[in-house]
Amino acid sequence: MSARPRRPILPPLLMWLGFVFLYAPIVILIVYSFNESRLVTVWGGWSTKWYMELIQDQQMMDAAWRSLKIAFLTAWAAVVLGTMAGIVMVRCQRFRGRTLFSGMITAPLVMPDVIIGLSLLLLFVSMSKWIGWPEARGMVTIWIAHVTFCTAYVAVVVSSRLKDFDMSLEEAAMDLGADRLKTFLVITLPIISPALVAGWLLSFTLSLDDLVIASFVSGPSSTTLPMQVFSSVRLGVSPKINALATILVVLVSLAALLGWWLMRLEDKRMRRDMQLAARE
Amino acid sequence: MGQDTQTRDSGATARTPDDRVEDARVENYLQVLGISKDFDNFRAVNEASFSIRKGEIFALLGASGCGKSTLLRVLAGFEVPTAGSIVLDGQDIAGLPPHRRPINMMFQSYALFPHMSVEKNIAFGLKQDGMARAEIADRVAGLLKLVRMTEYARRKPHQLSGGQQQRVALARSLAKGPKLLLLDEPMGALDRKLRGEMQLEVVDIIERLGVTCVMVTHDQDEAMTMAGRIAVMDQGRICQIGEPGDIYEQPASRFTAEFIGSVNILDGRIAEDYPDYVVIAGDALETPIYVGHGVTGFAEMSCAVAIRPEKMKLSHDEPAQKYNKARGIIQDIAYFGSHSTYYVRLPSGFVMRTILLNAQRWAAEEFTWNDDVWISWGDNSGVVLTS
Repeated sequence: MSARPRRPILPPLLMWLGFVFLYAPIVILIVYSFNESRLVTVWGGWSTKWYMELIQDQQMMDAAWRSLKIAFLTAWAAVVLGTMAGIVMVRCQRFRGRTLFSGMITAPLVMPDVIIGLSLLLLFVSMSKWIGWPEARGMVTIWIAHVTFCTAYVAVVVSSRLKDFDMSLEEAAMDLGADRLKTFLVITLPIISPALVAGWLLSFTLSLDDLVIASFVSGPSSTTLPMQVFSSVRLGVSPKINALATILVVLVSLAALLGWWLMRLEDKRMRRDMQLAARE
Repeated sequence: MGQDTQTRDSGATARTPDDRVEDARVENYLQVLGISKDFDNFRAVNEASFSIRKGEIFALLGASGCGKSTLLRVLAGFEVPTAGSIVLDGQDIAGLPPHRRPINMMFQSYALFPHMSVEKNIAFGLKQDGMARAEIADRVAGLLKLVRMTEYARRKPHQLSGGQQQRVALARSLAKGPKLLLLDEPMGALDRKLRGEMQLEVVDIIERLGVTCVMVTHDQDEAMTMAGRIAVMDQGRICQIGEPGDIYEQPASRFTAEFIGSVNILDGRIAEDYPDYVVIAGDALETPIYVGHGVTGFAEMSCAVAIRPEKMKLSHDEPAQKYNKARGIIQDIAYFGSHSTYYVRLPSGFVMRTILLNAQRWAAEEFTWNDDVWISWGDNSGVVLTS
């Protein structure tokens, strides 16, 4: 009996400490969203009334819908522009100003949001003064601002995928009679599509999440969800916000779980196929 | 091929100019004329010229970095040559982009499209030509049968083993019926055992279809097994072109002799120069070397003699002949089962390699380490190298 190896204690303990550190705030938030009490920090029994109130809050619902629209449109535009930028960065090894180009493309990654927001605001103001467009700031200006910084993320994701792309695949397609455009559309694009999907999802969440830049470039009737949440919290934290946050957390977790499950399925199938092929 | 010889024989009495033009087209089906390729002050290919008969399998053989792959990529159209021209079946193709050349290539990595099934991969080239769907299906079925992959038609490339992937890659590059097939290190990604089988199978398929083929390899066994003629390349230049036997038995330069197979190279100078033989004196041996072929050279010219290890005899007793022998001590033995290589140290310090075929069981036991032995060889064993 005494020879039984002692189970290590420290590693699991550290792991659980890490989990608590990461997830305790979220769990508390979810629990308090079902709080009966009006006060956020005082427990007053179970209830779902704040969810009902949230749905009836027209302003909040409008802001959420607006944010989703902006995020959706931003993701598409950022994927198109970011892919183009990524291709230029990886494939066009020499042209004048290449270093400047890659520097400028990735600048939004390291630039503080405040500076991006402020500089874009100045741009929009002077543009409307000189050329009369945009007449007023609103959804379009938020969209442009979001596309600007999301493009940077997509460009980085796509260019890293393109760097390990086997060039002989493109050469094989051209060798078999496909011109450059066709090769790109039927060979390159499908193969790098996981990077495009990742870039799309990243842009969508970044846009949905952004508060600072949107605050600078939004207009009177274009409050996004983070702005709405932030302003209502400033007037006093309502348990309604907890309910909203819980919904978001659940949605995001479901999406992540689904993605993980699909990837594991694909991975398993691939591994089984390769084993089968090796055995034959 | 058979047909070509026939027309040549029967038309020998009354040859018309048209026949001669046709002959030239068959003989010089692919003509590579003075191709050079520079990369930023570095000359990868230096004035390479050769021509290939229709239906021939031609190998570019060389160590890595000798420019053979660049030359192949120039033929495929992926690199634009700095100078020179390429004429294929009477058409100058040097200016054409890859997708307009009647040339297809099998890539070293196979470059199978990972998101397409085996049949879609093979059909890809035919689809680009706008061929009718039913016709494509017929062609693909025929090709799958040719490479014995019919039952794998719906699999994706990652579901295939290395040898199967190679068969698909071969079928895909043959699908369009190219005038010229390019093979880039065709067996490079296969393990040793599979290599031997696939070499013969690939040659069999190519010859059955009568496709003209240029292949690139760094593996001399592969080049000798598969190709009808070989061009040995070094530092961007073609050193020698010939059939495998010529390259091995009659190397034109020291580089070729050393690159192909193993060889003993003895430096010396011409002592006696006659039309049908030369005697060469060197420092490595105590007796002069007698070589049974004439040389274009003069007395006292420095040269070298290359003798292949398997063309030597090993014995305990001194051979009767006056020339072409040396005594020494066995310094090392490498036993390969089918044959053994003996490293014999001569009194001059030169280490001579000789190979003994183990024609009988335990034949290798006749000689052992530190034995005093005699090496001897015939008049026709050595080749004089003047460059």
